[in-house]
Formats: sequence, structure tokens, C-alpha cells
Amino acid sequence: MHIADGVLSAPVWIGGYVVTVGIAAICTKKMRAEDMPKMAVMTSAFFVASLIHIPLGPTSVHLILNGLVGIILGPLSFISILVGLTLQAFLFQHGGITTIGANSIMMGVPALLSYRIFSLHKRFRFRLSETIFGAVAGASGVFLGTLILTVLLVTTGSEFIGVAKYAALAHLPIMIIEAIITGFVVSFLMKVKPEVLEGEAR
Amino acid sequence: MKKKFLKFSIYFILLCLFVIMTGSNIFAHKVIIFAYLGGDTVYTESYFSDGKKVKDGEIIVYDSQGNKLLEGKTDKDGLFNFKLPKKDDLKIILNATMGHKNSYILSASEIPDIPEKSSYIPTYLPPSRGRIEEGGKALGKEVAEVNLDQIKSIIENSLDEKLKPMMRQLKKAEQKKLSFTEVIGGIGYIFGIMGIIMYFLSRKKEG
Repeated sequence: MHIADGVLSAPVWIGGYVVTVGIAAICTKKMRAEDMPKMAVMTSAFFVASLIHIPLGPTSVHLILNGLVGIILGPLSFISILVGLTLQAFLFQHGGITTIGANSIMMGVPALLSYRIFSLHKRFRFRLSETIFGAVAGASGVFLGTLILTVLLVTTGSEFIGVAKYAALAHLPIMIIEAIITGFVVSFLMKVKPEVLEGEAR
Repeated sequence: MKKKFLKFSIYFILLCLFVIMTGSNIFAHKVIIFAYLGGDTVYTESYFSDGKKVKDGEIIVYDSQGNKLLEGKTDKDGLFNFKLPKKDDLKIILNATMGHKNSYILSASEIPDIPEKSSYIPTYLPPSRGRIEEGGKALGKEVAEVNLDQIKSIIENSLDEKLKPMMRQLKKAEQKKLSFTEVIGGIGYIFGIMGIIMYFLSRKKEG
């Protein structure tokens, strides 16, 4: 899901940087010292997750975990993903350096939305509601990322329906796997340590 | 509270390390292309960093001035061959789907001078008259020349054929692989950055 250098046209990746800086500036205001260890752990998890491949689908795909990062960090997830992507780009050449902005939007904005989706579970309290909303949030993190990826690739002149179909097909296994992982992690954390999840009772 | 987080962090990192160490694939996900020369043909090979071949990847070749020379598509094994268009730095761009892109530069220094057939000067001494006479009446100078030419091209062809797998291995080994150190280094960076931010945030609070 990482866009490499030279794929996007200059106005698109520059625009990506501008939007990323804007969102990051807003999110930075919510940072508190006591959140930093949690953020470090989640950034590391996100950083490493892309190295775990799942040999399914037409292209090889890897875990993204942006939904889980979003649920646990809330608004801070965008910064966490920005840091993770920057390091991936410089250390692994995983995604381009010019496209760090665009990639951050592609994975960070869905993370923020996953957090919103997950926090809906408080309105619908029923058995396993956290697990189910966690799973849905995990899957939608990937799904929205795929949607943004498609839109970005369309700016390069690809045809929307073709790319969208291909992207959705390639990321379907990852969506299912992330839904399962996120669901499990969230239900485990709710039982053991609910205060880890952003916005839960401390 | 902080102690609990620390414990949680340590467990998480141990889990991450376990996953990395047990997983056979710790290559970042990107596309890799490399090219090598065999005779007058350029062989390219494209694959995803986890070893999966790039099928139907678009390949475009540019010269050093940025002129497009040719284009093509990789087959199901990620291979694409083309005749060497000219002696120049060739920039071979691979465009796989979904925003995956990479390039490989086959530099002119790697391309040997290809002797043109017409201006080819044989580098052997013409056989002495005496030997020809000894050998028999039919053996003329032309026969010997043709034979040496043929021998040379046969040797070149078989050498190319023999060296091809070696060239391939060499080029493949040249590709940067992700090391364990980099993964750990990255995690270190993250904790360092977060630590610095935490330091400043907590100072602000006190001040």
C-alpha cells in the first residue's frame, strides 16, 4: 500500500505534504507526556507490521495495522503513522520519500476514522460490542486506505474502476486478517487494560 | 500508571521481535528490478521484495538523455529481455501496479564494445604457406579465416550462456536486502523520538 517515488505527479505529492503537515499540526496539540510510551509502542508495531507478508491475492500484501493504531492512539495515530512511514521510507526504501505525505494521508486519515468508528461502541452496548466494533474499525482502516490509494492512482491517469477493483481484490485478505487481529486485540485490552484504549475510562 | 505502560511496552516489543525472528520474510514490500547483459541481449528480472515475481509489469527503457527507447511487459516469471539498443547508460523503469515502481541503471561501463561484423579484424597470424601445402591442396586461406571467425563466435556464445546464471546471481546479490539491524534501529529511532517529545512535554508541564 506504499506508493513509490515517481508514481505521483508533483502537484499531487506536494499537496500530500501540505495536507499532512496541516493534520499533524492539529494532532500535535493533543499530545500529552503520559501518552508517549503508548505512542512509541504503537509506532513500532506499525513500523514492523509492514514487514509481515501474507502470500495471498494477486500482489503480495502485508499487514498495515492502521485501524488498530487509530483505536489505541486516537488523534495521535496520525503522527505515529507519519513517523513510522518516514522511517520505513528511509530505512527500507519502502514507499518513496517524496510520497511520505501522500502515504501518510492514505494510512493516517483512515486511522483517525477507525478511531471514530470504534468509539461508536459506547452507544451500542451489547455483548461483544467492543470486539465487533474493533473488527469493523480494523477492516475499515484498510478499506478506506484502499479507497484513498485508488483516488491517488487515478490522478496518475489510471482508470478508476479498473484500479479500484484490483486494489480491493488485493487488499481483501488483509482486510479480513486485520479485522480479526484488531477485534482480538481490542477485546483483550478491554478486559485487561481498558485505559490503554484512547477515550476509555482511565 | 507509567510502570504498567512500561511493562506493556516491553511485552509488545518482545512480541514484535518474536514475529520478526520467526518469520522467514523480513524484506520490505517493494518491487525490485535488476538487469544484466548476455551477448547483445539485456535480461531483466523483476520481483516483489518477498520473492513473488512481478507479472505483467510495465517496463520502459530510457537512454541517458531521457529518450524512450523501448517498452514491454514482464512475463509470468517477471522476466523481460530486449536487444541492446545502443551503448549508453540505460535506465530501466519497472512500473508494477498499485503504486509500486522502481528503476535500475545498466551503466555503459558494463556494456562491452560490440565489434561490428564488417569492421572485424581477425587477430590471428595468417597460416604459413608451408603448412597449407602440407595439409593438402584443398585447404585455402579463406577456409581457415572462416573457421576462426566461427570458433570465436561459438566461444562467445557459449561463454555468454555459461556466464548468464552467474551474472544473474551476482546482480541479484547486489540488491540491497533488509537487515535485522535496520529493523531494530528503526524501533530504536521511534523510541528515541518519542522519548525526546516526552521530555519536552513534561518540562512544559512543570514550567
